Amino acid sequence: MSDFRASLRAKIAAIEAHARADCGVLPFGDARIDDCLPGGGLPLGRWHEICGVGMEVETAAAPAAFTALMAAPLARPGPMGGEVVWVLRRDDLWAPGLMGLGFPPERLIQVCARDEAEALSIMEDALATVGVAAVVGEVEAADLTAGRRLQLACEKRGATGFLIRRRPFGGNARREATGSAAATRWRIASAPSEPPAGEFGLGSPRFSVELERCRGGRTGAWLFEASQAYEGNAYDPEVEDGTHPLRLVAELADRQLAPALPFRRAG
Amino acid sequence: MRAVRRLAAADEGAAALGLRPGQKATDAMALVPELTAEEAEPEADAAALTALADWCVRFSPAVAIDAPDGLFLDVEGVSHLWDGEAAMLRDFQARLTANGLPFRCAIADTPGAAWALTHFGKDRTLAPPGGQGELIAPLPPQALRLEPDTAAQIERLGLRRVSQLMSIARGPFARRFGRVALTRLDQALGRETEALSFRRPPNPWFARLAFAEPISTPEDMARVTADVAAKLCARLELEGRGGRRFEICFHRLDGKAMPLAIGLALPGHDARRIAKLFAPRLETIDPGFGIEVVTLTAEGVEPISARQARLDTAREATVEEGLAPLVDRLTNRLGEDRIWRAAPVESHVPELAVGRARPLARPADARPWDRAAPRPTRLFRRPEPVEAVMALTPDDPPTQFRWRGQVHRVRRAEGPERIGEEWWKGVIEDVSVGHVRDYYRVEDAEGGRFWLFRAGLYGNPSTPPQWWMHGVFG
Repeated sequence: MSDFRASLRAKIAAIEAHARADCGVLPFGDARIDDCLPGGGLPLGRWHEICGVGMEVETAAAPAAFTALMAAPLARPGPMGGEVVWVLRRDDLWAPGLMGLGFPPERLIQVCARDEAEALSIMEDALATVGVAAVVGEVEAADLTAGRRLQLACEKRGATGFLIRRRPFGGNARREATGSAAATRWRIASAPSEPPAGEFGLGSPRFSVELERCRGGRTGAWLFEASQAYEGNAYDPEVEDGTHPLRLVAELADRQLAPALPFRRAG
Repeated sequence: MRAVRRLAAADEGAAALGLRPGQKATDAMALVPELTAEEAEPEADAAALTALADWCVRFSPAVAIDAPDGLFLDVEGVSHLWDGEAAMLRDFQARLTANGLPFRCAIADTPGAAWALTHFGKDRTLAPPGGQGELIAPLPPQALRLEPDTAAQIERLGLRRVSQLMSIARGPFARRFGRVALTRLDQALGRETEALSFRRPPNPWFARLAFAEPISTPEDMARVTADVAAKLCARLELEGRGGRRFEICFHRLDGKAMPLAIGLALPGHDARRIAKLFAPRLETIDPGFGIEVVTLTAEGVEPISARQARLDTAREATVEEGLAPLVDRLTNRLGEDRIWRAAPVESHVPELAVGRARPLARPADARPWDRAAPRPTRLFRRPEPVEAVMALTPDDPPTQFRWRGQVHRVRRAEGPERIGEEWWKGVIEDVSVGHVRDYYRVEDAEGGRFWLFRAGLYGNPSTPPQWWMHGVFG
């Protein structure tokens, strides 16, 4: 009975989202978040928008770390595995850091674009390529047209797009696009870590995550922990147990996070 | 003392009046009072010769410059394109003459013999294979490209012909005139090989199309690109090889050569794909008055395994189908340095620990990075200064710091992790304790995680400690 209900729910979600239903989902492995997402997990074959908070709007370190953790299962060998293309504007992404989090750097191709339009077109090109499982792009904003183009590119091969919103250093905030073709929008902030009692130093990296928009699902806020980070055995292709590198620590009450920064409106 | 002005070169008319290079300018003025002389420009001559060498690529991909006024072309295997060496030589000289360049030409088995024949033999001599000995025998000894001293000595001894030198036994010859002279003789006769420094290495993977009517429209250029690619790729495919780099060269009517190059991530011989990669850049080629010849060369040619297109549709994608064309497109659009895969480099210095490998290259053998060491997601290329650092004791992690105008209160910290200088790599005098870095991983009250380091040591006035922000964990 529950199988039937799940499949029906997936179908309804697909109809609601106007997308192909056969791309599958990537569950986080915790019902508290998977129930909010259409189909019981992060929809594949769609693109997702990831924003930072405060200073992270420019450095985009927490969004990048969280995106790498979300995309890590896609980079591992397996039925949905493939290469990950990361399109940058500044080449400050550092592979040893990603590896420490549990993302296999040998499956990562980095591309440095010269401008915003080029970054978006490279994303589109990579999304439509055989053998690419996920594309991460760091751009300032994607307007409705660019978003729809990304969506079409995603649907071609079922690749998943991650668009990290990142403002160039020293640049002025652009006006936020009113609409978006993204399947989900996440706002990521670093959260204080909690080392086990009696231990010095920092604990596993924690992120407070707010799902701001979710087509065919519900929004919510959670506290995540990259529990396998910097352990030395974070990722081993031989012992792949399929657990998600992100562990849900707690559900945060809605809007418990620091309110999104008031964006200066230009013009 | 004043330098003596001498004639550097004389054209045909001047030679008829008895002027020759090396003559004193004053003597020449005495002979021909109405002489007009121009300053010699050796650099400009050399540049013009280089340009001419590039032009000659339309005849053979292997062109070597013989300074100051000669060119060697390796025509092995290309003369059939002109129906024989004689026709090629005629065409070559006619084109040079049409451009106002009176060159003397000869074809022989060895560069030495060809040099001798062009400088001292009959113009447009074609030495039959193995027959250069007889042709250079009656020439004067200078034809062997000898040093001036050696030539003068041979002259003094009354030897007037190469044939006389050829009859001397090798031992005494080397003793009397030096090894160099013997080498020159051997090189001319083909007893010793001579290495020419070609402007570009001879490349057997070369295709050429010449047009009866010069072309100039973009459509024509796209079509001939596809045609010449098909021609070369057919040969590559037949031998089961693929090229990594292709260079197309459009030779214009006015003698200029316009090259374009593309690279492939994996060696290939797919003519359509290669033509497609050239297509967006053809518009940068200015056809001028028209293009008469187009050449295509493949470099980095290596065997590739023949693949049969599979019949079943539900299958795993291969790299050749998807990733390689993507990497090619991006590489040719953005440049090679803008697409890479991070590869480990064995270095403790963070900014040196990541190298850039070609996206589809085999992984290097270097030891992978340490997974257990916490490293930031973003590493700044240049560490950014951190101000107003407060620490309880000098060696403690900071409790508060200001970075980019914001004050961060440190809640948790780890460290120090001391990373020294790679003193064995640089100049030993430059090694300083000021280059030692103590890295701390800190977390501020909001949860932001940073990678700070302190360069320099307390208590050492020559290297005051300075704090830097090197990366952000997120």
